[in-house]
Amino acid sequence: MQTFIGYERADGSVGTRNVVAIASVMDNSNPVARAVAAAVSGTVLLPGLYMRGQLGRDREITLNVMAGLCLNPNVAGVVVIGLEPITTGELTARIAPSGKPVQFVNVQPAGGTINAIAEGTRMAARMVREVSKIRSREFPISKLRVGVECGGSDTTSGLSSNPAVGIVADRIVAAGGQVIISETSEFFGAEHLFAQRAKDAETKKRFLHEIAALEKEIVDQGIDLRGSNPSQDNIRGGLTTIEEKALGAMAKAGKSPLVGVLSYGEAPKAPGLHFMAAPAPAVENLTALAAAGCQMVVFSTGVGNPIGHPVSTIIKVTGNRNTAETFADNIDYEVTGILERNERIEDAGTRLFEYVLSVASGELTSSEVLDVRETIISRFGTSM
Amino acid sequence: MLRAIVLHSNDNVATLIDTGRAAEPVQLTGEASNKIELRVDVPFGHKCAIRPIGKGAEVLKYGQVIGRATLDIRPGDHVHVQNVEALRGRGDIEEGR
Repeated sequence: MQTFIGYERADGSVGTRNVVAIASVMDNSNPVARAVAAAVSGTVLLPGLYMRGQLGRDREITLNVMAGLCLNPNVAGVVVIGLEPITTGELTARIAPSGKPVQFVNVQPAGGTINAIAEGTRMAARMVREVSKIRSREFPISKLRVGVECGGSDTTSGLSSNPAVGIVADRIVAAGGQVIISETSEFFGAEHLFAQRAKDAETKKRFLHEIAALEKEIVDQGIDLRGSNPSQDNIRGGLTTIEEKALGAMAKAGKSPLVGVLSYGEAPKAPGLHFMAAPAPAVENLTALAAAGCQMVVFSTGVGNPIGHPVSTIIKVTGNRNTAETFADNIDYEVTGILERNERIEDAGTRLFEYVLSVASGELTSSEVLDVRETIISRFGTSM
Repeated sequence: MLRAIVLHSNDNVATLIDTGRAAEPVQLTGEASNKIELRVDVPFGHKCAIRPIGKGAEVLKYGQVIGRATLDIRPGDHVHVQNVEALRGRGDIEEGR
């Protein structure tokens, strides 16, 4: 049986990394969070945007997704930085039931920026030392939750890297793990094929509803999607239409049945392949997948997309020989043999799967060592 | 020789996995094995037509519709945004609605 080396959490999940998150409740507490994260190694910064002035569903989503990032198994403990106790309490209340250590500092009662930074830095320093005592050990692949994504796609993505990622997805599902494919707009033109894989009529209906609802929103607004998707770099890479991009993108999900449909940032409960309705741009999508608890995202790229995420480890894979050479600093694994040497997709995917398990066990990726990481929570309403 | 992949027997385009120059022959691989000659330069990863595609006809790759020809396309032509349009996510046209 294949395994990986991870860190067990109180809620039974298993991290592939062991970091302390410095989570900012709102935009105006970001500067303190940033100073604390910079002062203490072993931390990752989770800046917030907005929060004050957010209402209703939009506010709920922001709180839940920030809590989801903190609940990600890679996070061993959380220091929450806020402005005032009430809103901070709303966030910590969503993290505490996991049994994960959570502490907080609020800038107003702390007596301003300098005191808050000092207090937060002491908390973070103590917490990093505390969680460093957690010993990693072997776990089955059924403990992995992995996102599959593509960005900076070109025509090589659909021909090589996406199908290779699909092999990885199938291996994880076969071992009892969880895989999430997302990027709703990138199913336009391919959804009829993917829907056939739904485990039952209800799942099929929910999946098709998510695709249709987004397209209706675009059409109702009178928008021509061609203005943004395919993007200019996709077009330079030979992708002509969203349909062509979607048909290639779908290959990342392998061939397993679709067992569930998730809302933005929602964690899956059952094993198997899931679809999450979430915006396609890389940073927004990675944030949604990380909030759903993905320890890793296997990210296929054609012309080259560098971005990683503070919480979820991002693995960049390309099948484009030019990108493997000219964008090498940001590429973790290449499957160029598929197009260049007629390597079987199955063989390339098997090699990639071994690499993914090595990363799960601690091998660092490019976006981690270069700290090319970003996070952003999508907005679904306006501030009042 | 230049290489281009045909993914389905119904497809009317092939994807070049080399940088194509006008008048050069291309060896088709995958679901076709004939040769075609490029009429224009076609960049790495871009598509060329392997059959005539009339204006308004469906462009097929993966055996699926990837868009519609906006001009008459001849075998060996570069098939891209200048002669193909998407049909999905189109709030700007009546039939998208």
